[in-house]
Amino acid sequence: MDGNELIISFKHLSKVFTKNHKEIRALDDFNLDVRKGEFVCLLGPSGCGKTTVLRIIAGLESATGGEVSLRGKSVTSGGPDRGMVFQEFALFPWRTVRKNIEFGLEVKGVPEGERSKTSSQLIELVGLKGFEDVHPKELSGGMKQRVGIARALANEPAVLLMDEPFGSLDAQTRNLMQKELLRIWSATGKTILFVTHSVDEAVFLADRIVVMTARPGKVREDIPVGLPRPRDRTSREFIEVRGKVLAELDEEFEKARTKELPPD
Amino acid sequence: MEDILKRFRGFLLSNWFRVLLSASSLAVFIALWSLYSAWLHGDWPFPGSPRSSTPSFIPYPWQVLAAFFNSFTHQESGLYMTNHIYASLKRISLGFALAFCSAVPIGLLMGRSRNADAIARPIMELFRPIPPIAWVPIFLIAMGFLWGPAAIVFLGIFFPILLNVILGARSVDPVLIDAARTLGARRVDVFAKVVLPFTLPYMMTGVKVGLGVGWMCIVAAEMLGAVGGGVGYYIYNMAYQYGAFEKMYAGMLVIGLLSVLTTGVAAFFERRLTRWMEMN
Repeated sequence: MDGNELIISFKHLSKVFTKNHKEIRALDDFNLDVRKGEFVCLLGPSGCGKTTVLRIIAGLESATGGEVSLRGKSVTSGGPDRGMVFQEFALFPWRTVRKNIEFGLEVKGVPEGERSKTSSQLIELVGLKGFEDVHPKELSGGMKQRVGIARALANEPAVLLMDEPFGSLDAQTRNLMQKELLRIWSATGKTILFVTHSVDEAVFLADRIVVMTARPGKVREDIPVGLPRPRDRTSREFIEVRGKVLAELDEEFEKARTKELPPD
Repeated sequence: MEDILKRFRGFLLSNWFRVLLSASSLAVFIALWSLYSAWLHGDWPFPGSPRSSTPSFIPYPWQVLAAFFNSFTHQESGLYMTNHIYASLKRISLGFALAFCSAVPIGLLMGRSRNADAIARPIMELFRPIPPIAWVPIFLIAMGFLWGPAAIVFLGIFFPILLNVILGARSVDPVLIDAARTLGARRVDVFAKVVLPFTLPYMMTGVKVGLGVGWMCIVAAEMLGAVGGGVGYYIYNMAYQYGAFEKMYAGMLVIGLLSVLTTGVAAFFERRLTRWMEMN
């Protein structure tokens, strides 16, 4: 990733939620740049605001302060130039695989012929051939998320936002889906911002791992992974990086834990 | 058709004991009814003079059944039962169409917008507790014998649909709306392509409940008079004008059957939609 175009930029981002008249500072002075084609993982203790970061760039949530820009333009609302993949899959249960994938195109008013051409290509890409007319209920978790990824890609977004997309999958499926995602990533050249709380997953996938602090979340450490692909989970280098990230994260976990137990 | 018969046979075979129980229970009821009629009429096995001044209040089951079939083949003051059914169906359909077309959009808005809910809720809560039948006198006077009953049916059907649509619209999984929004859906798209399909099964539940209430309303509304007949009118007339209670009961049977038939159709669609939604 050599001096590529800046796709996402967070500057002094802050977010305050108000819940029951109490203010919760979710993010405070969060700064991050993501360049074209990069695979960046956001890692942090639960409740550190990593999902909030995604939701803000997706336009689902607005920032309290600071600036978010996408390809130089300030983000104020959602748009099809950002595709989002959810942990809960969020597929429309009454739509078939194909119809789920075509949702964004339908909303955009793309004619049917073109829609089905695009969806066929995506179905091929994510390995769902033969399941075009099946409803989500009949799919396994891994296959559901393949639909989720294809659906997000249909709008040809500049960036793919993934919110713990493999969090609810079993370990084997999860590993398989990570490989599949890397394959799709290299086939499409998409920029990916990926939220996870699994160190292993982050080291396996990311170009850079952004470790966040406990709430209010900001960037604690931006760690370039720098391992050649495909990565071997059992290699010494992999385990080394994993150990380094884990050490960073452990400190934040500890902080988060002590915060959750008030002193009184 | 063959498939339905086969499934029916399968049902009988695997549930024969409970089918037998249900059949016996019905048979015992009809036997008790017949015995009571016989006692009132002073017939066998209770010989003697009639025990009541008006034994015709409780005619024999077969008399009711005969009156039921007769009402379709013989005119009563110029009208067949089919004329009455048609007249009632027309009023119900009018009321139903109006209720459906207004309750669905209002329910969707109230379910999805707290402001819309704040606007509509007080008015709704003001009218909801009033039984639709309480409106019978004024509606008949003000709107006549077609629109009056239709308006009463409207009130009966409107609230069940409205309440269910509100519930459905509120139950939409927020993550589905998030997903739609990130895919570029505007507010209208979210409504048309997420909220509306999600709400369909709830809507059908409202329709099912509403139709039941609708048949109750139509009987009450037609009793005070109906131009061109009506099953409620028939029931009232047979009792008050003619003292033909077996015909009155036949009319009640017709209403019951119509109600079962229409709510059955609604229940069928409700199941289909729920399966289509794949919520269970």
